[in-house]
Amino acid sequence: MKRFALILLALVLVLSTAACGSGANTTDNSASTVASSSTPASETSTAAASGSTLPALTPDKPVTISAWLTSSFAAPAADNKITKLLKDKLGVTINYEIITPDNADQKTGVMLAGGEYPDLVGATDLNGRFITGKALIPLDDYLTADKADLLFEHVRPYWNRLATDAGDGAKHIYIFPNYNRYYGEITGGTNYGASGFWIQKALLADQNYPDLSNMTLEKYFKMIEDYKTKYPTIDGQPTIGYEILASTGREWGMTNPPEYLAGAPNNGGVIVDSNNVATIFANKDIAKRYFQFLNQMNAKGLIDRESFTQTYDQYLAKLATGRVLGMYDQRWDFGNANDALVSQKKDERTWVSTMPTYDGIAPYYADRDVMNINQGFGVSVSCKQPDVVVSFLNTMLSEEWQKILNWGIEGEDYSVGADGKFVRSDAQRQQQKDLVWRSSNLLEAFRDLAPKHQGSYSDGNAFSPDTQPSEFFATLSDYDKNFLTSYGKQTWRDFLNQPPENPVYYPCWNITLPDGSDAQMANTQMTDTALQFLPKAILAAPSDFENIWKQYTDAIAKVNTKAIEDVVNQGIQDRIANWGGSK
Amino acid sequence: MITKTLTSPNNSISLQPKRKGFWGTVISQRELVLMSVPILLYKILFSYVPITGWTMAFQNFKPAIRSVWKQKWVGFDNFVKLFTGINGERFIRDIGNTLAQSFITLVLGYVCAIALALLLNEVKSMGFKRVIQNITYMPHFLSWIIVAGLVSTMLAVPSSGGMVNQVLMTLHIIKEPILFLSNPNYFWGVVAGSNLWKELGWNTIIYLAAMTAINPSLYEAADMDGANRFQKMLYITLPGIKATIVVLLIMSIGWILEAGFEIQYFLGNGLVVEKSEIIDIFVLRYGIQMGNYSLATVAGMFKTVVSIILISGANFISGKLGEEKLI
Amino acid sequence: MKIRINNKKLTTGDIAFNTFNYAFLIILSAAMLYPLLNTLAISFNDGMDTVRGGIYLWPRMFSTRNYYIVFHMDTIYSAFVVSVTKTIVIVITNLFFTSMLAYTISRKDYILRKTITVIFVLTMYFNAGLIPNYMLIRDLHMINTFTVYWLPNIISAFNLIVIRTYIKTIPESFIESAKIDGAREFRIFLQIILPLCIPTLATIALFVAVGSWNSWFDTFLYNSAKQNLSTLQYELQKLLASALNAGTRTQSGGGGANAAAQAGSSNVTTPQALRAAITVVAAVPILVVYPFLQRYFINGLAIGGVKE
Repeated sequence: MKRFALILLALVLVLSTAACGSGANTTDNSASTVASSSTPASETSTAAASGSTLPALTPDKPVTISAWLTSSFAAPAADNKITKLLKDKLGVTINYEIITPDNADQKTGVMLAGGEYPDLVGATDLNGRFITGKALIPLDDYLTADKADLLFEHVRPYWNRLATDAGDGAKHIYIFPNYNRYYGEITGGTNYGASGFWIQKALLADQNYPDLSNMTLEKYFKMIEDYKTKYPTIDGQPTIGYEILASTGREWGMTNPPEYLAGAPNNGGVIVDSNNVATIFANKDIAKRYFQFLNQMNAKGLIDRESFTQTYDQYLAKLATGRVLGMYDQRWDFGNANDALVSQKKDERTWVSTMPTYDGIAPYYADRDVMNINQGFGVSVSCKQPDVVVSFLNTMLSEEWQKILNWGIEGEDYSVGADGKFVRSDAQRQQQKDLVWRSSNLLEAFRDLAPKHQGSYSDGNAFSPDTQPSEFFATLSDYDKNFLTSYGKQTWRDFLNQPPENPVYYPCWNITLPDGSDAQMANTQMTDTALQFLPKAILAAPSDFENIWKQYTDAIAKVNTKAIEDVVNQGIQDRIANWGGSK
Repeated sequence: MITKTLTSPNNSISLQPKRKGFWGTVISQRELVLMSVPILLYKILFSYVPITGWTMAFQNFKPAIRSVWKQKWVGFDNFVKLFTGINGERFIRDIGNTLAQSFITLVLGYVCAIALALLLNEVKSMGFKRVIQNITYMPHFLSWIIVAGLVSTMLAVPSSGGMVNQVLMTLHIIKEPILFLSNPNYFWGVVAGSNLWKELGWNTIIYLAAMTAINPSLYEAADMDGANRFQKMLYITLPGIKATIVVLLIMSIGWILEAGFEIQYFLGNGLVVEKSEIIDIFVLRYGIQMGNYSLATVAGMFKTVVSIILISGANFISGKLGEEKLI
Repeated sequence: MKIRINNKKLTTGDIAFNTFNYAFLIILSAAMLYPLLNTLAISFNDGMDTVRGGIYLWPRMFSTRNYYIVFHMDTIYSAFVVSVTKTIVIVITNLFFTSMLAYTISRKDYILRKTITVIFVLTMYFNAGLIPNYMLIRDLHMINTFTVYWLPNIISAFNLIVIRTYIKTIPESFIESAKIDGAREFRIFLQIILPLCIPTLATIALFVAVGSWNSWFDTFLYNSAKQNLSTLQYELQKLLASALNAGTRTQSGGGGANAAAQAGSSNVTTPQALRAAITVVAAVPILVVYPFLQRYFINGLAIGGVKE
């Protein structure tokens, strides 16, 4: 009986804490909401009073910063050398909470509902949920020359682009962009990272390095067909002519090509005409032409029928076998497969980019890199030490730390040549590919979301090894050197068009479609409709194509595409009006 | 009650139990009450209290506005959005897919589990039986994410590791590999098949256990009457486990709108979406991923209401047919 | 407990049936076993080599690289401890409270029997939803605690029914005679019912343990901020995601993404091979434990078939 009473007591205690808990929390919530709006003001006044600089970070005053990141990168290992450096030199320890992008939606929802956030929030969702959810503090007060000077300089020329309205009518800066804010000379015109119709190098070599200018779909597929007929198997496995990327989250691999074929740059699902008016192109002739062509190619057996049923990692695995002759994709997306081939010493099976277009239209595949908006770090309203956190971010943007984050430690990860240029040995380059080494020597997750000093440093070195031209040439394999010479080109970039200046509003794919709006719903419906009909259309017998295409356009007609166009056009007008200036 | 009355010295012997009324009984059974009611309250706290969250279905819920009372009320708007228009077409189609997949899985699962249990029951060698059982239980321990990956590989073309196609082609049953995952008509089968592979062994446990409870003398009597193996199965074993089958069936009927999630999520694709998308995937795409929690709540309410109607119905019918009831 | 009595001479029909039966069961087992052995083989095969296809039951290029990557992730060790602790706590609390409750509702004359049963059974059929549940947990201050792993999940209605049915097979006379000796209900439960229920408790223990071992969503939702509360499955999930996307950067969809500056970062294995190794690591602990509980299965389960 006594034992039983104890158990009962325990239960009762649990239940009573529950009762008290729910009561107390509601008051907590409202308190924190009130406090958050006043925090920046009070902090600013403290800072102003103390001499208008941010707190210095020293090992004598250790601080712990909690960070929430949406990233595919894993947290650093416990023995990570940069973690140690942060602690020894700045006294900073970071507690990571990393959520993979696949699950970020659910986590974001409950975090917003819960109202408690870590100090640093690193988000990548285009919907700006943390901003509209009032989870981040406006950072304007810190962005002056005497406080967060480096961060200020980072955003100053682009202030109007980055300032967002959180729903209270005024525009503030909440998030620091994590990619493509360039300083100094933009180097690195060596690798090409974006869209193209990729084609295998061995194929081009075998056909005697044919001229790739004025490329058309017909020419592209003819090359593939010829090679496939000549070599029906590669390494004992059937050769695949063309692979289509359509896995979850990457449906753009299937739906984007028509805009490039029509000579338009990457604006997502719309094409913007010379009057700056955007329209959906999914149901237009330029799309029909592409998919009908694929349908005919499929009838010739050139398309991989498994394209639509495989997952992303199955797609990569297939590419890594070296038997895929061509695909439309963006270079960063298949990096994994490319490296697998290189490490198997199969450089000839990797790809270069071609730019097919319709009827002699000038290709506009390569664009100038656009700065990320609403992706990167922000400071949360729950942060009790925003001064420290901003100071930390500011310090991380210094050239000294940027070099540490992106090049590594001098002597261990790179050395300085006689001309002052950074250079790496073969061993140093190789170890970068090892997952295990990386978790102990790089701060990848943090780096992914942190603001970057892209371009070049004041000493002339490029931002990171990938953009240092000398590194590129030093790591070029013999096969690739030969290949480039045969084409009379120096770098992979040379295979693409020279990008013209981006239009002011570019790119449209990151115009926010607000949560709960008709535009957002229509966008998802468009993707779903494409997924439902396009694979069928491509794999069907050519005589069925018209029928299926009609079903597809009928289905699109039921979607409220006007809602999308309205929001995008509004966005374009806003950008044209507001994005001219800096602060 | 009666015992007590008989042995208390001062009372007259009466065969009528004393009527005590509700609270009287509660007090006299207070030990049982103390052993169960706190747990009941606990369950009410964790399962029933959050149901107040169903008010989200009638609002335009924004997680950042934390309080339930400050949200914007939209009445039955979300219901309309879910069941009508292009969304509605999709949702109703998904209800159909969910029911179909669930039903096929259920029927196939039952028939095969019982059949396998009967076969295992016939095995005389304990060692062999043990080994087979252990092997058939193993897939149950894998998580669905892994099983989805395995299924995907098994059903691919032979050059991608597709064992099923490989075997079928070697046996000359088919000439060209079948693209199981590209053809919507196969998808329900794929779901049922995957469930079968994973849970078949595990599901037989319950039936085997029930079979051990059957009185052996029934079998002896049947032997003496000259019954053969199959007659014994039909007239002794099956009726012997009938109650188990019925109770499990009632429970499963309540779960008819749960058709899984991982298999459809990982193996679903554009080509099969008409047959593969189920309610839970719809909720993920149009609810959670768009920050529309109100929609997700409406779908959840719908599922619950249907489940409860079905299970009450099944329970009632079962009782009327003279079979075992769940409640 | 023997079902069949072996005193008959085998007829040809019997022999045919037995042969068919044994053959069928062997083929069935092979079908169950093959994918698992295949996964094992891939996990021990060099990742780059696996990509070429053709690995069936045996690794072609033996390599422990995949396992090295998994075990080098030092977070999985503490995660393993947390998973084990969580499973043990969940099993003990589940067994005790579920069986206690099952005992009460097995008493035919218990006045609240039907009410309690209905209330519990209904919980099998609804779920309040992601956000309401989260809000409750938050209001109870259980976010980022170990408690959230076991406290909300102490009673499963299914297990309740199973144990209740089993208890009903215990002869009334045991209980009656204990009552006559003056024992109170709780003591009867503790000293008579529980020991007799060991077979069914062992079975339920395994059900519960498997569920707890494989779960990661609770970690993801409630405890992702505290590394020292992470569980094995969750860590393995994260490892897999990082391997899959190692060549890409975080970017959002919606029609295309930025050109990457970080090209060329990869790993020396492939996601497929790593996933195989992760599968094995995640499944092995359970596969090791369950044979010990296996002998209780057959006798421990009962649903239905017991007269009211």
